[in-house]
Amino acid sequence: MSHALTRRNFSLAAAALAAPALLSRAALGSDAKIDLVHLFSGADHPIQKVIRAFNEKNTGVIVVSRQDGTTYEAITQKAMSSIAAGRGPALMTTGWKLGDFAKRTLGAKDFREIFGVDRTAALLGQFRPRIRPLAEIGGVPIGLPWSMSTPVLYINQTLWTAAGLDPAAEPKTVEELYPMARQLQDKTGKQGLCYEVNEWLPQAFIQNAGGNVIDANGRAVMDSPAAIKGIEAFVQPRRDGLWRVMTISEMLAAFQAGAIGVMASSSARQSGVRQAASFDLRLAQMPGLAGHNRRMNSGGNFLAVYSGNKEQQEAAYRFMQFIASREGFEIWLGTGYLNVTTNDIPVRPGNEAANAQLEGGLTSETIWPGARGLEALTVHIDWITKIVNGTVSVADGLRGSRDAVEKLTAA
Amino acid sequence: MTAAWRRLGRSPWLFAGPAVAAAVAFVWLPMVATFGLSFIDWSMLRQEATWRGITHYSGTLANPDFHLALGNTAIYLAALLPLQIGVPLALAFALVRVRAGLPGRIYRTALFAPSVLSFPIAAVVWLWMFNPTVGVLNTLLGHVGFAPQRWLTDPDLAIWGVIAVAFWKSFGFNLLIFLAALANVPADVTEAARIDGAGPFRQAIDIELPLISPALFFAIVTTVIIVLDEIVGAVDVLTEGGPFRMSSNLLYFLYERGFRHFQFGEAAAVAVLIAAMVAAVTWAQFRFGERHVHYD
Repeated sequence: MSHALTRRNFSLAAAALAAPALLSRAALGSDAKIDLVHLFSGADHPIQKVIRAFNEKNTGVIVVSRQDGTTYEAITQKAMSSIAAGRGPALMTTGWKLGDFAKRTLGAKDFREIFGVDRTAALLGQFRPRIRPLAEIGGVPIGLPWSMSTPVLYINQTLWTAAGLDPAAEPKTVEELYPMARQLQDKTGKQGLCYEVNEWLPQAFIQNAGGNVIDANGRAVMDSPAAIKGIEAFVQPRRDGLWRVMTISEMLAAFQAGAIGVMASSSARQSGVRQAASFDLRLAQMPGLAGHNRRMNSGGNFLAVYSGNKEQQEAAYRFMQFIASREGFEIWLGTGYLNVTTNDIPVRPGNEAANAQLEGGLTSETIWPGARGLEALTVHIDWITKIVNGTVSVADGLRGSRDAVEKLTAA
Repeated sequence: MTAAWRRLGRSPWLFAGPAVAAAVAFVWLPMVATFGLSFIDWSMLRQEATWRGITHYSGTLANPDFHLALGNTAIYLAALLPLQIGVPLALAFALVRVRAGLPGRIYRTALFAPSVLSFPIAAVVWLWMFNPTVGVLNTLLGHVGFAPQRWLTDPDLAIWGVIAVAFWKSFGFNLLIFLAALANVPADVTEAARIDGAGPFRQAIDIELPLISPALFFAIVTTVIIVLDEIVGAVDVLTEGGPFRMSSNLLYFLYERGFRHFQFGEAAAVAVLIAAMVAAVTWAQFRFGERHVHYD
């Protein structure tokens, strides 16, 4: 049977095709769809599992995973365009260091304004009291603190024991660690120690010596006597020939290949390093400095809401409720991030050291203030790199950093 | 309007229209917008603009990081231009004189292969080779008694690491151009030179080089643009401009201002300055270089 293509038939067919698009989504009973912008690669990454588990619950909200880059800066840059066009992502993983920028420039929403004070308290109440303030910028809660890591020691246990070191020994201070790294290097011929050269790990040394990078008033104080002492301890292994300076990706490759005895890096790298390593791996707490109280820092990202659409904000709330639940967070811990909720979830094997560090109390990652805060961060890393390379002395380098950062944060 | 034009009616506009519209929308308007943006501070999100006059230009020109990027760009150009032209040219002269059959074709393909790789993929391979602890380069150095090097984190070496990768990655493209140009040199001309007693070197310099000068000129112009422009991919993946900006170049400086620090006004000023420099260099190439080109 055939039908002639008349004007009437054509109009009917076109109307039938267009009708679903013209009917409101509510009338059709379809789900609210929100984007979650993030930087995590891999179809099997826990973020995909969290999203899948939530979507399978058929709550009326569908979360769409959108990996817009592999760095916080890259996803932020893309988000800026969509926010400017009025279609900001409902949710985006936002690096702690970008907190001030997210609030001032990107317009991350104040949870109390979009969810109400009580519902915000109920949502954030699922997180540990000490953690909640970390997702507040200037006292304003703008994020769900779901991804928290901390610097830890990754120990190649095979080399460690081959060097005759006590297999269970855990150095409490760098003064204890450095002779152990020396012994490992001398006995095995492998590189004893490697640190990340960035702003984050040096922050741990500065804080553990009693200093700060930026103080509570937003002033650059990274050249205080305490900070100088901390960075002196940081660069000591390079001066002693224990640490051959390399990029983070080079360090990871070399450690995973079994060529480095001990490396200090983020606890969030744990699952990746463990997968790639063909030796016994042990994680230990990041050592402090002798004679000083431990004061370790955290890192990672928080989830912030950028959409101005009420329906999208409501959908984001429902997803964040799931994330904060025991079920949602248990899946998320597969990343190596820490359990910062009040949910009683057993610590995953391998995460004990990072978890112990969390229990001991963590400060926030440095949040770089001002419209030029991100530039200040880059400048600070440049000065740290110069110090590590021996181009300038520790005192001169930190003073140079403070001068440059002061100019930029005041701009 | 002439009668000939009138006879054509609307046809020329219909044919040229889409291309002109695309050029206006995606080239000319962004260029004008970038120029305008360089005089203001613009908040993309608040859609607010604050007039800054020439502050972004004076600030950029006084910025030590800009000077460093400019100096590094000169080093990249000074190192890569002779390498990217000289080595492929010498290889092309050698390869056209060898009749090696299938192995020869495989060898030529191998030389060209890196050119079809994307910079990020090539850089990942090189990151392994450069690794100071497990990389093949330091392993080889160790076998001949040299100390291992920090190829990408030593401030004196990093720029040369990027240059090495950029050279390896791109020289095959020019090799292909030169091989094609040499293949088109009339055999009777070189034959006559040979009969007159010219040796291979003399033939190459006095006969073939002038005859392939248009290809040579094209290669020089495009290589300058590649060095100024495309090398930013290698810089980003290998060193991110580090350590402490020592391997950065002008385009990476622009990228950082715009897309890492989100200072769009300053980034626009840098873009205008780079465009002016590239235009000046290209003009100089045509003004002083083209006179040596033989198109007949």
